[in-house]
Amino acid sequence: MVVLREGMCPGLDEDLVRDLRNADIKTVEDLVSSDTEKLAQKCSVSYKALLAIRRVLLAQHTAFPVSGADLYEELLSSTAILSSGNPSLDKLLDSGFYTGELTELSGGPGSGKSQVCFAASVHISHHLKQSVVFVDTTGGLTAGRLLQMLEAETGSREEQMEALQRIHVFRLFDVFSLLDCLYGLRAGILQQASVGGGGGSVKAVIVDSVSAVIAPVLGGKQNEGMSLMTQVGGVLKTIAKDFNIAALVTNHVTRSLSGEVQPGLGMSWSHVPRTRILLERVEAASAGCSSLRSATLIKSSRQPCNIRVEFDLQRWSRSKRGSEEMRTPEEMDSA
Amino acid sequence: MQRPVSSLSLNPGVKVKLVSAGFQFTTDLLHVKPQQLSKEAALNQQEALEVLQAVRRADEGAASSSSTALELLQKEEEELRSIVTFSSQLDAALGGGAPVGRVTEVCGVPGVGKTQLCLQLAVDAQVPRCFGGVGGQVVYIDTEGSFLIQRVADLAAAAVNHCSLLVEDQEQRVAMETFTVESILSNMFVVRCHDYIELLAELHLMPGFLSDHPRVRLLVIDSVASPFRPLFDELLQRTRLLSGFAQQLLSMATSHDIAVVITNQMTTRVQGAQSQLVPALGDSWGHAATIRLLLQWEGPQRLAIIVKSPCHRVSTVRYTITSEGFRDAEQWSEPLSQSETGKQGV
Repeated sequence: MVVLREGMCPGLDEDLVRDLRNADIKTVEDLVSSDTEKLAQKCSVSYKALLAIRRVLLAQHTAFPVSGADLYEELLSSTAILSSGNPSLDKLLDSGFYTGELTELSGGPGSGKSQVCFAASVHISHHLKQSVVFVDTTGGLTAGRLLQMLEAETGSREEQMEALQRIHVFRLFDVFSLLDCLYGLRAGILQQASVGGGGGSVKAVIVDSVSAVIAPVLGGKQNEGMSLMTQVGGVLKTIAKDFNIAALVTNHVTRSLSGEVQPGLGMSWSHVPRTRILLERVEAASAGCSSLRSATLIKSSRQPCNIRVEFDLQRWSRSKRGSEEMRTPEEMDSA
Repeated sequence: MQRPVSSLSLNPGVKVKLVSAGFQFTTDLLHVKPQQLSKEAALNQQEALEVLQAVRRADEGAASSSSTALELLQKEEEELRSIVTFSSQLDAALGGGAPVGRVTEVCGVPGVGKTQLCLQLAVDAQVPRCFGGVGGQVVYIDTEGSFLIQRVADLAAAAVNHCSLLVEDQEQRVAMETFTVESILSNMFVVRCHDYIELLAELHLMPGFLSDHPRVRLLVIDSVASPFRPLFDELLQRTRLLSGFAQQLLSMATSHDIAVVITNQMTTRVQGAQSQLVPALGDSWGHAATIRLLLQWEGPQRLAIIVKSPCHRVSTVRYTITSEGFRDAEQWSEPLSQSETGKQGV
């Protein structure tokens, strides 16, 4: 639905726009869905001219079919698979986060969602030398923790700083700021970030968490929240597709009546992400907290669902590198 | 893809009018004059102006600014200090204490020391910078009526006494002159809220108050649970209010560089034949705080467990509460606590 304006197409001049407006035709949609013959009589313009305008407007606002072969070409040339850095999680994701797709991590408090986001952004910025946009809506991002993870990867201060510089952080706490940010990214910040960020184009957009900003507007008497949620999903998908970016979001969990854990934000959101993963703590037998987490694939278009893997948050990267925090002195020496 | 008008932060009624007048995307509004808009969309002058300003802001994309992780790291290292708890083990586990710029939640059963920790932090937040403190003011929102001023005076006297023993140089001597029980009490703003409406209203006014008092470094809410738990009949409404509340707290913590410390009660979750004690207010509230600290009893001992934190390990420490305040558990020397950490934490 676009408002009719003079000069939108040849033949659509000021007088005609006024006449159409008087006939209650304000938008392109109104024009193409009205009876052209009657309209021509009403506005006293030639039927032919109106038909021509209609045709041009339709052509301007239509979507074009693309052949499957071309899409496949494009897939081969531009889709990248960004490894998360963790072998078992990669197995679940069919080797990593795909660009052009939206992946969701859900889990309860302390289930490791943010840690996976940090580790993935560190891996992408350090190993793959690509920029990452990190939208932090929960105040959880700590640069100190990112540095800690980087220190486990490389001993060179310079490389650590470079990697940190490739992570662009947005901190915002309500859904409108999130939409502002995402539309802004689409409108050009993405390119700027890749120019100013010291090499590497933006290959991943991470929103941690999307439920934190959507949950406050969802429910209640107004259904505006639903519309905002759909828009967040829509713009994230468009960014992912248009710029060939892997989008990663986190979501909270709710408990169904039977006590089962399921991702939050309801049914309509469940269609938005292409791949969904549920993270849970692995309860150790000794009744304590461990860094072991399990990840279950609950929606995927590539892999059979309900595959479950376990991984250790402390031993994120490949096992030969050892754990990141509990490195033994020998490892410190060899690094 | 163009940006729909409905994604702008405007009154929903205004948005409905805009869309029904045919203005679906922000680009439709870019070249419209205020008078024209108010006539076409049946808005008043003021609303039309607001709409156009919002459109322009969105078009420039000025609303959000990013920083690189490196810049954040520098800020974290230089500006954001933590508020010490006076329990060296807990400070070590938390990397210095309750971090400024973040929301920390303290959960626990009645009597385990949640309020004591809050009162202690309210005093500690005022420790002068030269003693390793943050030298700030404190806003204390009390919803349970548990703010005991005599107890605060005791803690303050102990803190002043502790610092006076540490004085070494001239700067610290000067600082000690203004660090007295009286000054500590006068730099504490106590708000008593009786129900959730008062609490929400207070929080709405808080950004203005914080701008007027830039020295505030700590906001305590003791507790969040008591005003919200009576809302059990309207669970959906409660969840929505709480998640909005959480985002407000986060936004304040980040934009005003204050530490936000909130307390939460415990509740029993029944699952089949088993039951366990979990923090109240439901699962989704669990995401609200950045750091979640669980205080619990183990026999006669008190334990503090970091259950959730994006930047600390899960770990367990012992503490005790003395007449002077929140302190390390002395009779249990460090090796014990480490074996505890080794067994339970990671």
